[in-house]
Amino acid sequence: MRISRKVPRGRTALLAAAGLLAMTATVASRAQSAASSVWSGAYTAEQADRGKAAYATNCAACHAPGLTGGDSAPPLSGGVFLNNWNGTTTGDLFTRIHDTMPANDPGSLGGKTVSDIEAFIFQANGFPAGTTPLPSDPQLMTGTKILGTKPAG
Amino acid sequence: MSSFSRRTLLLSTGATLLLGKAGFAQRGPALMPPAIPPHDPKIDTEWRHYAADQANTRYAPLDQINAANFNNLEVAWRFKTDALGNRKEYQFEATPLLVKGRLFLTAGARRDCVALDAATGEMLWMYRMDEGQRAANAPRQLSGHGCSYWSDGTNERVLFVTTGYRLVSLDAATGIPDPDFGDKGVIDLKTDFDQELDPLTADVGLHATPLVVKNVVVVGASHTAGDVPTTRFNTKGYVRGFDVKTGKRLWTFHTIPKKGEYGYDSWIDGNADQAGNGGVWAQMSADEDLGLVYLPVELPTGDEMGLYRHGPALFGESLVAVDIMTGQRKWHYQFVHHGLWDRDVPCAPILCDIPHNGKMVKALAQPTKQAFLYVLDRETGKPIWPIIERKVAAGDVPGEWYSPTQPFPTKPPAYDRQGVGPDDLIDFTPELHAQALELIKNYVTGPLYTPPTLSKIGGPFGTLIAPGVQGGTNWPGGCYDPETCKVYVYSKTTIQLVGIVPNTDKNVSDFAYVHGIAGVTPQAQHAMGAVNENAGFRPPPPPPAGAPAGPRPGPLLVQGLPLVKPPYGRITVIDLTRGDISWQVAHGETPDNIRNHPALKGLKIPRTGREGNLGPLCTKTLVICGEAGFFTNPQGVRGAMLRAYDKATGEEKGAVYIPAPQSGSPMTYMLRGRQYIVVTIGGGNYSGELVAFKLPKES
Repeated sequence: MRISRKVPRGRTALLAAAGLLAMTATVASRAQSAASSVWSGAYTAEQADRGKAAYATNCAACHAPGLTGGDSAPPLSGGVFLNNWNGTTTGDLFTRIHDTMPANDPGSLGGKTVSDIEAFIFQANGFPAGTTPLPSDPQLMTGTKILGTKPAG
Repeated sequence: MSSFSRRTLLLSTGATLLLGKAGFAQRGPALMPPAIPPHDPKIDTEWRHYAADQANTRYAPLDQINAANFNNLEVAWRFKTDALGNRKEYQFEATPLLVKGRLFLTAGARRDCVALDAATGEMLWMYRMDEGQRAANAPRQLSGHGCSYWSDGTNERVLFVTTGYRLVSLDAATGIPDPDFGDKGVIDLKTDFDQELDPLTADVGLHATPLVVKNVVVVGASHTAGDVPTTRFNTKGYVRGFDVKTGKRLWTFHTIPKKGEYGYDSWIDGNADQAGNGGVWAQMSADEDLGLVYLPVELPTGDEMGLYRHGPALFGESLVAVDIMTGQRKWHYQFVHHGLWDRDVPCAPILCDIPHNGKMVKALAQPTKQAFLYVLDRETGKPIWPIIERKVAAGDVPGEWYSPTQPFPTKPPAYDRQGVGPDDLIDFTPELHAQALELIKNYVTGPLYTPPTLSKIGGPFGTLIAPGVQGGTNWPGGCYDPETCKVYVYSKTTIQLVGIVPNTDKNVSDFAYVHGIAGVTPQAQHAMGAVNENAGFRPPPPPPAGAPAGPRPGPLLVQGLPLVKPPYGRITVIDLTRGDISWQVAHGETPDNIRNHPALKGLKIPRTGREGNLGPLCTKTLVICGEAGFFTNPQGVRGAMLRAYDKATGEEKGAVYIPAPQSGSPMTYMLRGRQYIVVTIGGGNYSGELVAFKLPKES
């Protein structure tokens, strides 16, 4: 995972330097084809299982065990959550969790734990699991959209 | 104070700090403080308090921006707060002050205090205090609601409360702490508080602004949310008045009375001795002529459980008028007796002079979470229209004390739905409504003040309450048009489950019963505060290992749609000359999941409004308010709208795009002939930003 992550980043930089814009576009389209939205399998079931435990430890005290939100924290499932994140990317949500949560110790969760928790949130919102894990680097998550409603077709 | 560091940026040299204010003039241009931006006192307006004035009207009689041109508004400047604090902030709730061409506000994850050029958004100075673990432990994190301003005509001060609960007084010209105030410009609010507190860990903070009135600065208190309180012996949320020049404490008002004080006898068995909380975390109002400050008080400890605060328990959920100079109680009015619904009085009362029975009355209007606007005589505390005590039901929680009655205003009518019944449920289609009726069978439902009930496996799972514990109306409060005596208030329409479950884990709480759901082990609640194992806080327990079998409560959704029928958010106009509602409008675009929902295909659904916490702004002709949530607009772009309504009719007159929802209430001012509207936005993936709008020169 780590090796394959670095390849496109380095390549993009090289190609951009060389001005080969057409090939950069190829990289972008390949990234999108992995999972262009959360409806095409953006995480694995194993991730969501791990995420369930990590959520209980790190998130449930404020966001509630059922992701329904609490007195000082918004729900992480259902309409309020989906509407406020509709049209963003999995990387946007990753960054928000990683940088600002948990509120009592922001930035303390590693990327792997954050993507596990994000996978659990996706599962709880009815997005299907797939075979490719949700990355633990937001730079690799810019092509996958969070869409509240399943796209037609 | 070893963690206390001061930095004032944008001064020409850090050495200036050591010179003090007298140093500037003598050291030549290189050490001059930032120049006061161009402004014209003859034509400019000001905004010296959180909601414009001490009466909390959030009103400015300006009309350069009006119904005819609102849609022509352009972004004048943006101030992104990402560079403040050690990480981005997404919950930016401040409303700036405007004095002499400068905006003053708090911003960023660390709650820095900043001054901006009101014409350009350029930063003039910034003050930060790194409070380390003390701030990390605080019950109210992030940027807060802003700061306060004081001047005697010569000296100018900006005051704010830090995350770690210190009151700071800064020179408005430079951002340098006033050396004559407290200890080098700072007061440690965890001391001199009529109670002994651990400075690092005590559960007290504040993200409201202090209130400056005459030469007194009044400071409230807030605590961690009390659904699963760690302890019933929590910090008491007393209110204090300080001399604005010296920082000397002038008075302390005991929101939980001590033995021998007025109100102590409203507690049974001396429960007041042990109870904590009872803070004033909301904004306050003041009437200098009457010499009174109005304190909106929250509950004593236990948001939904009154197990250890038996009796009406003053001054819980009361409005208290105290003398500005002495803190002595003049009158009080309790809106909820022995509350079990977390109905903290969440915002400042609006002070208003209204005609009543043929004469002008000095009144006030208090918006609330329960969606009643209580209108009282602000000299005496007596209701303008009768408020009557009605019998209410008792619940089934062992050890709880239930008030037999609660006060119900006869006028004005409630401005949002209260209680839960069949008529409140989703009804886009008969099928959805039938599913909703089926869903609520497993819950206790009833009118306003139906008490929380025990949550049981198999049902009932607890009580459904409306509005939910967040309101109704919350911290932004309303606005007021003094010319027509009308209050404008936003409220959200929600249904929430309040169940009560037994607790035996003393590491979670010393309450025998807490807010929760049957089958789910209660977890310690730290809310925005921190877990600090070294300081006596406890980490959350491991997840429950297998819960008993039986039906469990699920989300309060029907096919993914809200259980309650729209509007989900609304603005109501209440005419105080008659005590009735003039108009009401769903505020906020219909959310994406409703517009795209397969079960609603082909249905024409009026705008639903959105739920959130919003403060509207009132000008000469308009009521202006941003939306509470994101939606995808016809251009396919995520964002929200800042909307303007004709304040007389409620007709929408215009809307401009904002890239994220309104997160702090808007304000407006005239500066060198141009009217500006400034609003804080953020949320979701969009970090905090202050956006200023004005009209293009050609219009």
